[in-house]
Amino acid sequence: MSATGQGGPSQSATADREIVISLVIDAPRELVFEAFTEVRHVSRWWGPKGFTTTTRSFEFRVGGVWDFVMHAPDGTDYAEWITWTEILQPERIALLHGEYRDDPNAFESVLVFEAVGVATRIEMRTVFPTKELRGEAVEKYHAIEGGEQTLSNLATYVTEIARKGMED
Amino acid sequence: MARAATTSDVFNAIAEPRRREILVLLRAGERPVTELARELGIDQPRASKHLRVLREVGLVRDRQAGKQRLYGLEARGLRPVHEWTGGFERFWNESFDRLGAYVRDLKQARQEE
Repeated sequence: MSATGQGGPSQSATADREIVISLVIDAPRELVFEAFTEVRHVSRWWGPKGFTTTTRSFEFRVGGVWDFVMHAPDGTDYAEWITWTEILQPERIALLHGEYRDDPNAFESVLVFEAVGVATRIEMRTVFPTKELRGEAVEKYHAIEGGEQTLSNLATYVTEIARKGMED
Repeated sequence: MARAATTSDVFNAIAEPRRREILVLLRAGERPVTELARELGIDQPRASKHLRVLREVGLVRDRQAGKQRLYGLEARGLRPVHEWTGGFERFWNESFDRLGAYVRDLKQARQEE
């Protein structure tokens, strides 16, 4: 895992149906926040390496919508539909993430931006409507990323752990 | 990253090749430790030790069946591995890595302006 990305366990009441991801970026909070507010920024980092997006509309305001298609490296397209439910610059963004307007399986993510000295800590807490939908999202994203890459990463990780274990 | 105790971390538990072999053997169904030891070509105390680690991280369950104790796979215990290797969490960890690189570039570009 990289030095910046780090998932973390959560102790909250919704723990069994949420996913929390956080990282620290060596840049001021205003700048990190800005990277979420315009399509010319977002389209540069959305998705793992090799993913691209085609945006139909992007209106960063409460009630505004980002309607786009995500292209996976294997050529598969995924419809994505995001609407912002809360924007508090430069501290907090809440959004609803689905595949289309009024998607009943849409889930909410809350991004919190915290200044840590000259750096910024972002935490994204995603709460799924049910534990089952959390599981389905995990499976869906598994499919999006493709299994082969996943397995090769697992192999690398396990080898690394094994090597460390032998050095102890 | 701090190294978690083998007995509490599923990732460390499966880093040991013998323990992965045990999991593969148990996919076919429950087995007593004697059979597992024989298949792996190791002595029984060693096999028992591996089984204890796997049980403690929730990858293996055991039950008494007559005189024998049978060990079975608890595949749900692999969920953290499954989720880590892909899925939503990895998608976002990788996106955030790209975000970090992008924002650092942006910062540099602004400073140069």
